[in-house]
Amino acid sequence: MKVQIPIGPQHPALKEPIGLRMTVEGEVIHDADLRLGYNHRGVEKVAEGRSYIQNLYLTERICGICSHSHSTTFAQGAEILFEIVPPKRGQFLRYLVSELERVHSHLLWLGVAGHEAGFDSFFMYVWRDREIVMDILEMISGNRVHYAINTIGGVRRDIDEAQRTKILDLLAVLRARTSFYLNLGTTEPSFVGRLAGVGYLSKEDAMSLCAVGPTARASNVPRDVRKDDPYGIYDEVPFEVCTADTCDVLGRTVVRIKEVLQSYDIMEYLLRNLPAGPVAVKAPRRPKPGEIVSRYEAPRGENIHYIKSNGTDKPERLKVRAPTLGNYAATIAMLKKGFIADIPLIFAAIDPCICCAERSVELVDSRSGRPSVVRWSELRRMAGRRAARDSKKRNVEWPL
Amino acid sequence: MAALKPLLYVFVYPGLLFLFAYGTFCEWFDRKVYARLQNRMGPTHTGRWGLLQPVADFVKLMAKEDVVPEKADKGLFTALPVVGLAVVATAMLLVPVWHVSPTASGFNSFSGDIIVLLYLLSLPTLIFFLAGWSSTNLFSTVGGTRVLTMLFGYEVPLFLAVLSPALLAGSWRLAEIAAFYQARPLLLLVNLPAFAISLVCVQAKLERTPFDIPHAETEIVGGTFTEFSGKKLAFFRLMTDIELVVSSGLLATVFLGGFPGGVGWGFVQFILKTLFIIFLLSLMRAATSRIRVDQVVSFAWRFLAPAAVGQLLLVILLKGFMP
Amino acid sequence: MDRIRGLLGERILEMTNPAVRRIFLTLAPQDLVWALGRLKADMGYWHLSTISGVDLGDAFEFLYHLTDDLPGSLHVRTRTPKAEARIPSICSVIPGAVLYEREVQEMFGVVVENIPDNRRLLLSDDWPDGQHPLRKDWKHVRPEEKIPGGKS
Repeated sequence: MKVQIPIGPQHPALKEPIGLRMTVEGEVIHDADLRLGYNHRGVEKVAEGRSYIQNLYLTERICGICSHSHSTTFAQGAEILFEIVPPKRGQFLRYLVSELERVHSHLLWLGVAGHEAGFDSFFMYVWRDREIVMDILEMISGNRVHYAINTIGGVRRDIDEAQRTKILDLLAVLRARTSFYLNLGTTEPSFVGRLAGVGYLSKEDAMSLCAVGPTARASNVPRDVRKDDPYGIYDEVPFEVCTADTCDVLGRTVVRIKEVLQSYDIMEYLLRNLPAGPVAVKAPRRPKPGEIVSRYEAPRGENIHYIKSNGTDKPERLKVRAPTLGNYAATIAMLKKGFIADIPLIFAAIDPCICCAERSVELVDSRSGRPSVVRWSELRRMAGRRAARDSKKRNVEWPL
Repeated sequence: MAALKPLLYVFVYPGLLFLFAYGTFCEWFDRKVYARLQNRMGPTHTGRWGLLQPVADFVKLMAKEDVVPEKADKGLFTALPVVGLAVVATAMLLVPVWHVSPTASGFNSFSGDIIVLLYLLSLPTLIFFLAGWSSTNLFSTVGGTRVLTMLFGYEVPLFLAVLSPALLAGSWRLAEIAAFYQARPLLLLVNLPAFAISLVCVQAKLERTPFDIPHAETEIVGGTFTEFSGKKLAFFRLMTDIELVVSSGLLATVFLGGFPGGVGWGFVQFILKTLFIIFLLSLMRAATSRIRVDQVVSFAWRFLAPAAVGQLLLVILLKGFMP
Repeated sequence: MDRIRGLLGERILEMTNPAVRRIFLTLAPQDLVWALGRLKADMGYWHLSTISGVDLGDAFEFLYHLTDDLPGSLHVRTRTPKAEARIPSICSVIPGAVLYEREVQEMFGVVVENIPDNRRLLLSDDWPDGQHPLRKDWKHVRPEEKIPGGKS
C-alpha cells in the first residue's frame, strides 16, 4: 500500500517552511518530491532598485544564519566593480567573522542533527557552547545575528588588544569542547547506529547532481571555494579541506566537526598575524559598467553572486545562488529508498537554509491575493461548503 | 471498616488520588533529572522547584478545546484515553504495597498476579495502537504501526526477564516473590542481568528515548497522539505517568525486594525504590539518541532475547543446586 | 583559455577574461548542449553553480556558471531574443541543472526545450500565467488591502 505523506510546509522537523511530499510503502520511501516557494521575499528584484550600500544590508538579510557570507560575497564583488582593495587589517577582520560564522553555523547544525536523531542531550550541550561563539561575535560586531560589519571597502569596526586576547582564550575553550564532541559523535553507539549508512550519496551522484559544501565533501569530492578559488586572504592562510568517504550522514557530521577545528586554526592564525593599519577605505559612489561573479565558501557550500553594473549607483542585476538550492537535487536522490525515520536526518544533513534558497520573487500575497472582497459571513459559508465537499472526497491528495 | 478498606485502596492509596499525585511527581522528577543532565533548569516556576508543573499542565490540557477528527471513529476515539487510564490504575492495585499481606491472598494479590500485571501493562500498547489507527491521520497511522512493530521486539524479552526471578522464588505471586528476596537479599544479585534487560524493555514500553519512535516529533509530528487534544491528551499524559509508576513499582518488587515494613517504612521504600528506577530510566533517556524501528526489533532479538534466555538458564541451574 | 579555444573552435562567439580566474565565454543557444558536453568530458567542467538570467531590454542573456577542479570558473553566456525566447535544456549533460532551469523558466518566461520537469518551482500555485517577475518591464502592483468584514 503506497501512501503519500506530506512533510511540511509546517512540520516539527523543518525549521523553515518547505513542502516535501513522500510516497511511502510501510516505512520505506519510494519517491520524494519538492515544492519550494513558501518563503519568498523577492530579494533579487528588490536589489535592482537599491544602491550598492543598501544592497549590502539587503543581502545580509537573505539568511539569518549565514548572514555574513552573503554580504561578504556581495562586498567582494562590489569592491572589484568599484576598483578598490580593502586594507589588510580590514580583510583579516572580515574573514575572522566569516570563520566565526562558520563555527557557529556548524555547531548549530550539530545540535539540530542531534535533535533530529532524538539525541536532545547532544543538542543542549552543543548549543550551550555555541553561545561562546555568539558572545565573541557580539563582542566584535555588537550584534548576535546580523553582524553588519561589512562595508564596501573593508569593515566597520576594529578590535583592540584586550579583545584579541579574550577571543584567543575563548577559542582554546571551544577547541577542547569540540574535540570532545568529535569523539562523542563518532563513538556513541546509538547515535552512530542512527547516522551511519543513512542518506547514501555516491561520489558520482554528488558530482552530477551538483552538490556543494559539506554534502559534497562527505562524498569525497574535495570542493572548497577557499582552496579552489582563493578569495581574500585564503591564499596565505594554511588550512586543509576536510573530506570523508563514507558518503552518509555520519560523514557529513564528521566533515563539519573537522571543519570547525580547521576554522579554529584559521582564526588563531588570523588573530596572531593581525596587521596594523586602517580597517576600511572609502568607496566611490558609482562603479564602472561591468559584470563580476563573486564566489564564497559559506558554511553550507558555495555561495555565488553575479553582479552586473550599468554605471549608475544601482546594480542592473544581482543574481544570488545560495548553497542550499544546489543541494536539493542531491537530497531528493538521497531520500529515495530511505526510511521515514531518516527523512529529517537526511534533510537536515544538507543544513538546509530555506530562506537562503528562496529569495527571488516578489510576493503577491500568495494565498489571498485575489482582488475580491470577501465578507466574513461569506467566508464562513465558503469554508462550510468546502468542508462538506472535501469530506466526501475520499483519498484526497495533499494540495501541495 | 472492612467494607471501607477496598474503597480506600481504590481511591486513596494506592488508588487514584495517590497515583495522580505520585505520577505527576514522577513526571516532575523525570523532567528535572533529564534537564539537569542536559545542563538545563527544567521546571522551576510553578510551585516550589516547579513541583506543580505537571499538575498545571494537566489542568491546562483539561481546559483546552477538545477536537475529534471528522473521519475518526468517535466512540473508540473518546473511549480509549479513559480505558487506558483505567487499565494502568487497575494495574497499580496489584503492586504489593501495604495493603497486601504476604500470607493471605485477596482480590489484589493472588497466585499469578505477576502475569496479570504484565498483561495489564501490555494493554496500553494496544491502546496506543488503536488510538493511532482510529484517528485516521497519516502520521498517527504510521505511529500506530510503529507501536505494534516495537511490541514484537521488547515484549518477549521483558516477560522472560521478569519471570526469571519469579522462577527462582518459585512463586507466581508478587507478594511472595518480594518476601522470598527479602529473606535472601544476596540472591538479588543473580537477577542483575534480568534487571538491566527489563529496564531497557520498560523504557521501550514507555516509549521514551531511545525508543520514542511512535511519537518521534521530528519524523511523524505527534505520532499516535497527533489528533488528540484537550482532555483526551491530558488523560493519555496521565496514563503515561501512571504507567511509569506502575512499571517501576513492578521492577522494584521483583528485582529490588519489594516494600516491606508496614505503612510508613514501606511507603518510604516504595518512593525510594521507584525513584531510583525512574532515575535510571532518565539517565538512559539523556544518554542516547533515538534509533530506528527496524533497529529496535533487531536489537531486541539479537541481544535482549538471548540475554534473557541465558538468565533463565542460569536461574534454572541455580535452582537445581539450591537446597 | 587556449584549451577551450581548441576544444570548441569556431563556435565561440566571444571570449574574455575580465578578472583573475574568471573566463566569460559567449555561445549561440543551439551550440550550448554540445559545448557543455565537450567541456564536461574533456576538461572536467561538471559542476553547474547556477544559471543567471539578465533582461537586456529586447533580449535575454543567460549565464551558466561552471566550475571544476581547476582553480577558477567558466561562465558560458548565451542570448535569445525576447520575442521568441527559447533555450535548450542541458539536463542531459548536467542532471543537477533542472532546478535552475525551472527557476529561469518561471522568472523570465523563457521556454526551456526538453526540460524533464516543467512544473512551477518557486511561484505560488495561484500565480497568473504570463507574469514573469524578473523581466524589467514587470511591475509589481500591490493588491489593495481589504479587511474582510471591516468598513469597505
